[in-house]
Amino acid sequence: MKGRSEKNDRTGREDAAAERAAALIREKSSAGRLVSESEIISLLEEERRKCPDSLFTRLPDENEDVHRLSGAGSHFYYSSRHMTEIYARLLLLKLEGPLRLIAETVRRNSCACRRPVPLDLFTQPPFNLTRQEVLDSLAEMSRTEGWEDIAVASTSASVVFLYSRAHLETGHAEMLAEWLDVGQVQNP
Amino acid sequence: MKRMGMRGYGGWAGKVLRVDLSTGRCWTEDTIERYKAYLGGTGIGYKVMWDEVPAGTKPFDPENRIIFAVGPLAGTGAPCNGRTAVTTLWPTCWPEPLVASGHMGGQFAAKLKYAGYDAVVIQGKAAHPVWLMIADQKVEIRDARGIWGQGIRGATAAISGIMGTDAVVAAIGQAGENLVPMSVVMSSVSHSAGGVGSVMGSKKLKAIGVRGSGSIRIEGRKEDWEKLIKYHLTLLGANNQHVVPNSPQPWAEFDNPTSRWNASPGRSWGASAYPVDTGTCDPRDTNRIAYRSNNAAFFLGDIAWRYTVRGNGCTSCPIRCHTMLKVPPVTAKYGISAVGQNTCTGLLFGAAFFKEFPDGPRGMARLEACMVGMNLADDLGIWCNYMQVQRDFKKLYYGGVVEKKLDAREFRSYSWKKYEQGDPAFLFELLPRIAEKKGELGTALGQGTGYMLERWSLSEEEWGKDKDLAYWKMGHPRHHASEDSGQCGLLINLVYNRDPTCHAHTNFLRNGLPLPVQKKIAAEIWGSAEAVDAVGEYKPMHPSKARMAKWSLLRKELHDSLSLCSWMAPWAASPLREREYRGDVSIESMLYKLATGDDKDRGELDQIAERIFLLHRALTIRAMGTKEMRVRHDKIPEWVFTDKSGRPPYTKGTTHLDRNDVQTALDMFYDELGWDRATGAPTRGTYRKFGLGSIAEALAKRNLVPE
Repeated sequence: MKGRSEKNDRTGREDAAAERAAALIREKSSAGRLVSESEIISLLEEERRKCPDSLFTRLPDENEDVHRLSGAGSHFYYSSRHMTEIYARLLLLKLEGPLRLIAETVRRNSCACRRPVPLDLFTQPPFNLTRQEVLDSLAEMSRTEGWEDIAVASTSASVVFLYSRAHLETGHAEMLAEWLDVGQVQNP
Repeated sequence: MKRMGMRGYGGWAGKVLRVDLSTGRCWTEDTIERYKAYLGGTGIGYKVMWDEVPAGTKPFDPENRIIFAVGPLAGTGAPCNGRTAVTTLWPTCWPEPLVASGHMGGQFAAKLKYAGYDAVVIQGKAAHPVWLMIADQKVEIRDARGIWGQGIRGATAAISGIMGTDAVVAAIGQAGENLVPMSVVMSSVSHSAGGVGSVMGSKKLKAIGVRGSGSIRIEGRKEDWEKLIKYHLTLLGANNQHVVPNSPQPWAEFDNPTSRWNASPGRSWGASAYPVDTGTCDPRDTNRIAYRSNNAAFFLGDIAWRYTVRGNGCTSCPIRCHTMLKVPPVTAKYGISAVGQNTCTGLLFGAAFFKEFPDGPRGMARLEACMVGMNLADDLGIWCNYMQVQRDFKKLYYGGVVEKKLDAREFRSYSWKKYEQGDPAFLFELLPRIAEKKGELGTALGQGTGYMLERWSLSEEEWGKDKDLAYWKMGHPRHHASEDSGQCGLLINLVYNRDPTCHAHTNFLRNGLPLPVQKKIAAEIWGSAEAVDAVGEYKPMHPSKARMAKWSLLRKELHDSLSLCSWMAPWAASPLREREYRGDVSIESMLYKLATGDDKDRGELDQIAERIFLLHRALTIRAMGTKEMRVRHDKIPEWVFTDKSGRPPYTKGTTHLDRNDVQTALDMFYDELGWDRATGAPTRGTYRKFGLGSIAEALAKRNLVPE
């Protein structure tokens, strides 16, 4: 009986810890943030809760809205009640540094949406890079292997757009940049 | 409070107010008896024009009518119901004036209904300047000699002083008084209907003031109506029904940098009493729809956020497409109010005259030019013709035409250096001269493109070769034509007598959703995913494109007749992921049915819309005196077929079209509409099908119906 009771207690504590972890994920997601495994462990330790061995398997299995992403050297969690997968992946890219963030965003837009994106997009929320950081990242890309496809198109209003040559041909990207920046404003 | 309604129908107020300014007589007609088959708005406008204005009438003749008409949804709780259609003979339509409509937002439509009227039809010409006072059943033609010569703001204030702050005033400025064709009527000092100010001026009608104390009866059950309105609100996107945000948001699967949904955490109304952060604006939060769009920031750049006070707009519209700006430096610099408000072309009015600005294309000088432009144009009552006057001006000046056409004294009277340097003060020299018809340049620009070209012996054909100039035909520019919407946009632009102001097609194509999602929805509405292409990746003509074009133009007429905003409606897509981004193309009929009690479904309302547009076509054919519309009317400018890059049509990176393919498009479009392929004129059978047999007979007597 004693053994069963201890087991029940342990199970109860593990369940509570798992629920607390899921609540933390939802809370952070509603604030637009991912949560790492280490952050979850720290929180549980702060609250003197034991982190169950199976916690990180249980979280997505037992909570329909909780999802795991891997990258930036860790695993991260988000709740789809408050955040789409695409937004969560963007936050993960932010953690992987500006080069990945810029390049993958540009590639996704060129491939899935067939459009270049304005450079200033990356100075706005949720990217929040400075213009200089974006320019420095582009300069670094031009010197480093693996980013050769990232290219620049300028409009007649001197606005710089970025696109991936792997998905958009140069003339096409230039035409689209002019249309998006100048054409649409003059064609309201 | 009295409640409107007629013969068991809700929605309509029940009366059309008639005013003859020549005789001073005012009387009313029964809306249901005379106009129910045409709903309201442009439907009433075209019907009056057909019945009462014979071919050959000129815009400024006393026999011409100007019809301010609204529909059964105006003044109800239906979202986006603030539009008044203003129909008349269009003074800038070249080489001959033909019927067209302008559309005025604000609160005028609702007030007119609350006063008990679905329309005001003005005819005749007053002996001296007058304004029309409508205060419920009390209708008076009042002396306007004291306000003639004043700008729109002054006239509005004066009439509001007489009628009270609850009244809405639609007034013309000096441009309209001086019979400048490029003039507007404007309600609540920023909501304009372009092109009609001079028609009011020709009748010596300075303004209409409306005060109404009634309400509109909703025929359906209150709880059903409230449920429907709440459902409708969930389908709304941002301005122009863009349904994704322009930057990534936690709730959004998709974003598009050119969406007008530009709310985001960190973007604030910087000039409000305290900064208001627009936030993430989750689409399920219908209480924050008004934060989604900041049109000043969209059109003028990020600099506008700092000077934004708030959004403003029309009756029962949460979109608030007019952005109120407060730019204190312009008061000291130019002696104008620091506060101004408008939307799209109204915001751009001043800036669009300039080629460049000293601090770049998105800087402070451009913003100041916008403030100066709004201050002047919205008081003088000048129309931009969808910014054609600004494009014309730049081409004429930089092409050396202005210098050639003006005598040396007049040319020197302008500060051209200021102009070239992008100094907004130049607008104080140019715009008042347009409104006053002062000098050769002011007079020519005020006539509208077609008559200006004729006056200066310039070729319309040449004007139609320049894609950047955006000129289309008959004195007017393209408005979401092939550069934007491929064959569908081209077809819609062919059939109107001014720029078509149709957004049903472009709102869908620019809604921000990825092409595969758009194609899925398009297949459900227009029968094939082939209906839509991406800009710069057009494909040859397909029957579904003709269906989309027909559907779009019919929905435009339906919205203009029901009084739903054609800049927001229809709601073919929505921001809702759980609906897979589908909107609801039956929302118009659901609203109509509950409001009026008239049990018509989507298809039946579309048929009425087709009747209305058929009447527009019949009016055009009768006035032109020919059935050869394909050749004589539905003309296409050369720029549609050319591309500087030299790429072949229907390849990536170009939007130009193939000539043979466009002829196929016309064939398919005419087939869809039941019009004769050879002439582009509706057949007798088509007129009869839509209850317009008598019109077919009248036209047939003049050999204007194809055999």
